[in-house]
Amino acid sequence: MTHFGPTIREIREQLREGDRRYSVRQVAQRVGIEPAYLSKIERGEVAPPSEATTVRLARELGEDADVMLALAGKISADLQAIIRKRPRLFADLIRQLKEAPDEAVLRVVREVRDGNW
Amino acid sequence: MIFLDHDSLAFRFPEVHEAANFTIQFQRTLRIPDDGRDYPLPPGLGAFPLRHLDDYAKRLPESWRERGGVVAPMHQSEALWIKFSSQYPFAVKVGTGMICAITGDHWVRPLNCDPQDYMVLPKQPWLDGYCVEKGSIRQFIAMPLGKGYTVEEQLTGAAVHGGLQLVAYPMKVERYEALRTKQDKLKRLPAYGILQSVPPDMGLAPGGRMKQDIYDDSHGLDAWDQRNSSRCFVSLLNSAQWMAVTGEPPPTEPPTAQTYSAHGMPWFDYYGGDLQAIAGSEKLNGLVSVSQHALARGEALLPNNESVTSQPVITLGKPCRVRECTDDLA
Repeated sequence: MTHFGPTIREIREQLREGDRRYSVRQVAQRVGIEPAYLSKIERGEVAPPSEATTVRLARELGEDADVMLALAGKISADLQAIIRKRPRLFADLIRQLKEAPDEAVLRVVREVRDGNW
Repeated sequence: MIFLDHDSLAFRFPEVHEAANFTIQFQRTLRIPDDGRDYPLPPGLGAFPLRHLDDYAKRLPESWRERGGVVAPMHQSEALWIKFSSQYPFAVKVGTGMICAITGDHWVRPLNCDPQDYMVLPKQPWLDGYCVEKGSIRQFIAMPLGKGYTVEEQLTGAAVHGGLQLVAYPMKVERYEALRTKQDKLKRLPAYGILQSVPPDMGLAPGGRMKQDIYDDSHGLDAWDQRNSSRCFVSLLNSAQWMAVTGEPPPTEPPTAQTYSAHGMPWFDYYGGDLQAIAGSEKLNGLVSVSQHALARGEALLPNNESVTSQPVITLGKPCRVRECTDDLA
């Protein structure tokens, strides 16, 4: 069992304290799934939903889609496509960085270049 | 450092504090009627795409390449709002055409407190336009440079820069730690090919009015670490050229305020509790809006400018700041 369902429930309940639109029924409606299905997801009674539904849930709850997908044991299709396009390069890069501290990983992230203005 | 993360600008200051990071997203939205009424906040209809300008440098003018930064597509007369997501405190300045959106003064990099020319995160979740009066703003509307509509042209008489300018300063780490200790005692930390045919340069102009507070800086100018900052120029490319430059289709045009309202979709208000709002800028308040400008020049008004009934209004407040609309209409 993953922590996906309980995490979703915790975030949704926290949001519902300030906004009643975050009931199971209304969130499910906006995400496009049945309320009963969302309840089962939250209780961990069913496997995490599809990537598309997970991303919609993350957006609805204001959470990072990649983090939610990871909690659900998934990797987004766009990341998979990036790796499949240059598998040796990216597999090597990820393995090289697996134990690196966040700051070291950030050093290889492409920065937005600042110019003259 | 700034990098792109899912069409968001992610600002990180690991040299200041591991938690010193935040994101900025430019949200597509409907253009509210420019009819003199104060409207509630319109919804977010998804993020504008953002791309490294360097990736398309060969197809953009030399002056754009010099600025660096990122590029985003906007339809003419399309509106946007800026979404801030942060837990660490930051001071953020926003300019359009090198004019401060809060004070109407010429863009300068340092922070100023008299009058305050920046916003304080995380208490400021959004910015929808120019701060024209206490509690009122005029919506950011994309208009082509060179026709006199933009704030830059109205205040400087020149159409040179366009786009959006951003600079962010993290809170000094010792102030942050002191704040966090204080909040811990309170038991809870707040959830905190060169195109020649059509000039592609776009700037932002003042549109319809809406209710929005720009909150004052309760920390004081000394709280901000002005030795560390990151800035970014966001160039706005007319959607008509986006495909030619990037090879990607631009986002479709958002629904009109009339269509949105007719479907009974929600508008928004933000309850900031006891937060104090700053006064608006007389300079910005003295500018003419897009509609007023068109009328004065005898030009056609923007379409779909009829007044609408902005109901229902949903009041949001901490910790709930989700203003995006995921309905199919969007």
